[in-house]
Amino acid sequence: MKKFLQNKKLLSAFLIVIIILIVLGGSVRLRNRRNSPLIIQSFGNDLVAAGSRIVDAPLSLISGGLNSVNDLLNTQSENNHLKSQVTDLAQTKARDQALKAENRQLKKALELKDTLTSYNKINASVISRSSDTWSDLLVINKGSSAGVRKNQAVMSGGGVIGRVIEVNAASAKVELITTTDKSANRFAVQAEAANGKKVHGIITVNSANSLAFTQVVDSRKLKQGTKVYTSGMGGNSPKGLLIGTVAATTRDSFGLSDLIKINPAGDINDPSVVTVIERKVAN
Amino acid sequence: MRILREWVLAIALYVAIILDGSFSLYLHQFMSFHNYGAACMIMPIGIILIGLFDDTNANEIWLALGTGVVADIFTLGIIGVYTVALPLLCWGSQRVARFLPETFWARLIVVLLGVSLLDIYSWIILSMVGIINVSGHVLLFSVLINLIWSLVFYVLTYWIWGGLTVNYPFLVDLDAYRQ
Repeated sequence: MKKFLQNKKLLSAFLIVIIILIVLGGSVRLRNRRNSPLIIQSFGNDLVAAGSRIVDAPLSLISGGLNSVNDLLNTQSENNHLKSQVTDLAQTKARDQALKAENRQLKKALELKDTLTSYNKINASVISRSSDTWSDLLVINKGSSAGVRKNQAVMSGGGVIGRVIEVNAASAKVELITTTDKSANRFAVQAEAANGKKVHGIITVNSANSLAFTQVVDSRKLKQGTKVYTSGMGGNSPKGLLIGTVAATTRDSFGLSDLIKINPAGDINDPSVVTVIERKVAN
Repeated sequence: MRILREWVLAIALYVAIILDGSFSLYLHQFMSFHNYGAACMIMPIGIILIGLFDDTNANEIWLALGTGVVADIFTLGIIGVYTVALPLLCWGSQRVARFLPETFWARLIVVLLGVSLLDIYSWIILSMVGIINVSGHVLLFSVLINLIWSLVFYVLTYWIWGGLTVNYPFLVDLDAYRQ
């Protein structure tokens, strides 16, 4: 021990490792617990996000141009598909309006204000993505000044793609739903079984890095293609946001519980525009 | 103007952090293969090349530390991945540069080794704090894909980093030596 204390190089290295571990542990704790980051951290994030906006402008123009060419090439097949849906659209619209009016009247009669399905939308653009191999994080160009709050659900391409994990004044970080982060808040979801009953569970990520509907009591009633929605029970997200569809039902590696693979409905690979969902009912 | 010249390298690294994020966003589909992904490492490659091109300027280790803090805050939200790895990579490459031939190919080996070590180090730290749960074989394949992309970024940025480091060393006024 005396030798160790007299060896300055060894002692310095030991102290540096201890300091690194303390800073690492402290920053992880802050990341998970605080609703907003420290002012200095928020300032740093916004500073780099401002630069990202400038760089993003020409890059999104080029990317948009290439996507437009791709869309143009697919126009014919897309047109044929849409034509087949147009016939149903007018009827669905009329029914939707009638149901909306009926819903409003019923809510009024019951003196209900906001329910679990009520939410506001905040549209934002994705300006950056975490550059490392491992974490699934996006940076969006809206922050607390636009009403974005920690843990709000984020949608793109018609489905949920993740959740806000860090909010700065003019930017925010979104953790994708495919994250393997052990401390991430999971989405509480539900699906309608073949017998009409609701099946509840949560969304996790399995070993093959795909989405899974877990903690389900009886999954055998869920057919392939069944839509899975948020249930609003988790406290952070409203009810009725589409997560994906059932791809296959298996047992977990221990053979104890059901494991339902989900095909995500949202655009997880290439989200350029996202919608942050602000739940109206308080947690 | 003198101050600007001294800080050119810091500004270049700031731009590199931004480009890493933007390229990760737009090239993500090309950079990943099944469950295996690659990192966009323009900034870490820059740090290693800075160390290799200029092995006498100790200020560049402090520059790497500052860049690491900003990169950690912006990309991961935790401090301890780039903050530790970048100064070590810069210091290591300055030491290696003293006996390494000053050639494109020799430096390429150091850069590929450095980015692989960074990838493995970030995997260890992020697994340790529970932010990721990725298996060893995914790590292995991801490192291989990462090597290919790092080779591309190395070829594209080698002369840029070389020119910047030689002409604008961090916090050194070259004009003072010329007069």
